Amino acid sequence: MKTTALNLPRPVRVVPGPRGAPQRIGGKPVHALRESWLVEDRWWTERPLRRRYWEAVTAAGADVVVFCDLQTGRWFSQR
Amino acid sequence: MIVCAWIPRFELAVAAGGRAAMAGPLALAPQPGNAQVVGEVSGAAEADGVRPGMALGEALARCPRLALVAPDPQRVGDAWEAVLRSLEGVGAAVETEHAGVASFDGGTLLGLYAGSEQRMLGAVRGALEHPARLGVAPTRFCALAAARRARPRRAVTVTGGRAAARHFLRPEPVSLLRLRAGTRELVAPLERLGIRTLGRLAALERPALTDRFGAAGALAHRLACGEDDPPRPRRATERVSRSLELAESADGPALERALGALIDQLLAGAERRGRTLRTVVLSATLASGGTWRERVALREALADPERLRLALAPRLALLPAPAEQLRLEVERFGPAGGDQRTLLSEPIARRQARLREAVRQTRAAAGERAALRVVCVEPGSRVPERRAVLAPFQA
Repeated sequence: MKTTALNLPRPVRVVPGPRGAPQRIGGKPVHALRESWLVEDRWWTERPLRRRYWEAVTAAGADVVVFCDLQTGRWFSQR
Repeated sequence: MIVCAWIPRFELAVAAGGRAAMAGPLALAPQPGNAQVVGEVSGAAEADGVRPGMALGEALARCPRLALVAPDPQRVGDAWEAVLRSLEGVGAAVETEHAGVASFDGGTLLGLYAGSEQRMLGAVRGALEHPARLGVAPTRFCALAAARRARPRRAVTVTGGRAAARHFLRPEPVSLLRLRAGTRELVAPLERLGIRTLGRLAALERPALTDRFGAAGALAHRLACGEDDPPRPRRATERVSRSLELAESADGPALERALGALIDQLLAGAERRGRTLRTVVLSATLASGGTWRERVALREALADPERLRLALAPRLALLPAPAEQLRLEVERFGPAGGDQRTLLSEPIARRQARLREAVRQTRAAAGERAALRVVCVEPGSRVPERRAVLAPFQA
């Protein structure tokens, strides 16, 4: 039986603001941005990984972590 | 070719003491401690609008003359066992989900009756001492629907394959799904949604039903489309039982002592021939009238009185009232001798062996992915999906 990775990124619909920060996540407006960080890994391989993470609080009070894949421009949510 | 034998109102007839006593409006009373709904009802009660599963208050309001019969699962179990043995006596390998309905593969039986379906059905009818309805169809569920449409002396036969079964089931009500354990809970929601026939159910998309009702939805759609699993006949074995009359209506510690004595008697019986016990039935005659019955499938075949006590004693707490008689019956034996444990087996090794067995049984019931463990691969990784994986659990 194969192993399964936990906590895989899930595509999410994000409306970014002018500086790239998320303004709406999954249709819900963002109330506050708590933190942002950059992850760069495997830059020495043919499949480098570059992600800009955002931890945000939505207007509904949920704390969510999303990232923008800087290679493709697509947004994902991840716990 | 699946044959289904359906004996209408079997539990009520046995509890009432025979069909002759069922002339008036009768219904099985609710089991003490269970939901206050009536069980099977007689024809006269049905004519007054009383239905099985109806709330007791509503049933009495619809039919003030309604007489309630105390449920008697012990006698029903014995009577149904006698019926199954009669069917096995004519060569049928029967499967039964509840008392009153038995099905078997008629194709394998035809050879015994010179290939004549009529002779085979005649032998089956002769073996049943109750007025039974017989249905013959390509699948179990369709055969049950056919039996419910049959007349007392004329079987209903559905010839053909899956398409014929689907065509036959089309006008049948969805309430038929109540007769299968896996789809019983679906009847009320389907009726609320306005889906009243199996034809309308079959016309829906299977993925949509699965999405809404899970595995039960997929099974209901399969059944409505004329698909079903083949019967899984029970293993015919002899029954061995011991019973104990209790001088005073007993409960609590007195019952546990009586259970201990029954276990010792059963294990000492010569008819056990050194075999272990796999499935047992614990039943009691209640001081307040009626009986109680509980089937216990042991996690592993046992012949150790102490472990049998540990497995069965908690079931006594389910007794709804003090008991006048307690009975322990072996429904299925395990292999002789059972598991040979090593003389010096450490408690830790024993616990691990039990854990391995529990994982094996869980996987057998719910699939390979039922027992997994989280393994930390790179706990400090900045990429969250690389930190841990789900791997097969190995005890």
